[in-house]
Amino acid sequence: MKFKTKVKSNIKELREEYNLSQQELADKIGVSRQTIYYLEKGSYNPSLTISFKIAEVFDDKRLKEIFYQEPVLKDILKNKTLEDLDRIASEVGITTQKLIQLNKISDDQLNERYTKNELEKIAKKLNSDYDDLFEE
Amino acid sequence: MNNESQAFKGTISRDFVKKEALKNNLFLVVVALGLILTFIIYLVLSGNFDFDLFLLLTLVCVIIPYLIIAPISAWYFAAYKRNFSYIIQENNIIINHGVFTKMRATIPYKRIQNINIVCGVFDRIFKTYSVKIETAGHSAVSSGTKSRGIGPEGYIPGLKDPHIIENRIKKMIFQSSLPSEGLEEKIFKPQELAFDNFISYILSKMREGELLQTSIKELREKINLSASQLAEKVGVPLQTIQHLEEGRYNPSLVLAYKIAEVLDCTIEELFKLK
Repeated sequence: MKFKTKVKSNIKELREEYNLSQQELADKIGVSRQTIYYLEKGSYNPSLTISFKIAEVFDDKRLKEIFYQEPVLKDILKNKTLEDLDRIASEVGITTQKLIQLNKISDDQLNERYTKNELEKIAKKLNSDYDDLFEE
Repeated sequence: MNNESQAFKGTISRDFVKKEALKNNLFLVVVALGLILTFIIYLVLSGNFDFDLFLLLTLVCVIIPYLIIAPISAWYFAAYKRNFSYIIQENNIIINHGVFTKMRATIPYKRIQNINIVCGVFDRIFKTYSVKIETAGHSAVSSGTKSRGIGPEGYIPGLKDPHIIENRIKKMIFQSSLPSEGLEEKIFKPQELAFDNFISYILSKMREGELLQTSIKELREKINLSASQLAEKVGVPLQTIQHLEEGRYNPSLVLAYKIAEVLDCTIEELFKLK
């Protein structure tokens, strides 16, 4: 079992650091402003050339600093209040602590400490599917 | 993944019940009048018009059956409407119908050939429409039938605005007929960027590998991995890896990340912008 990840980016913060508007950044790279918008929104899987060109604009930063992979689960858990987490944890039958830990552990620790059954229940409680949050 | 394509659930309108009831009643009235006419003709011809007999016949053969049949069929249509629902999902449309035998038809978009909207005589009175979904082997040519085999595979009657559902289905059909996952993710999602991406994709293909330089092959061979083994670990077809190694393919960031993970290196070591 592994966490399913998606690529998120720091482009907005970097862009503001470098004092660039979305349009200016788009022009520098050779794409439309909408592309930048969707990149920042995080709902877009860019091609490598665009990614490299963006890195170039930001003084050849490493791609890892601009685009990072984050478990899909993290986003979802982030938006839950402590009460929500307490409730979900008790409905699944684990401690709240164990639920929160999902945000911080690695894939190996995931396999050690959780059963697939628990993860399926957790996914359901989060209004999701096991396959959206985890993969083999 | 059902994120942007939310499933669309629907039911049919009340007017469907009214329409079927009207149709039914009209039919029963016609039958009743026919029977009464038959009795009259028979009694007149037999020379002895016994009014009491006529009344008795009319009562037994016309009025009582009507009083029984009409409410039963009204109940039936109401139950039909109640049990009728459809769900427009990511890959198919599901139609639940049936009163005594509950049936559930699942029609994958890939099989849909045609969508017809029908408005019959009675439909026009109540402003309802029917949507008929044809697949290969199930045509709507014999219109009006809901039976298997000859009738349309998908039949949704009693809709007030059929264009909503027609457009929904067409949109889903389009989405499910898009090219393979890899390409789709790169180019056609989100739809607003499709043209943008399509142009740059074509350009990069035209300049065949002009843009990226890759050392996948060397790094792969360093750890004794074959191309097909790498493809399997990353979760893409062998062709993708082959194209990448030949420098003919502009991969997505996610793919690059996955390969870097498997080969235990950074993306910059794998790919360079020329």
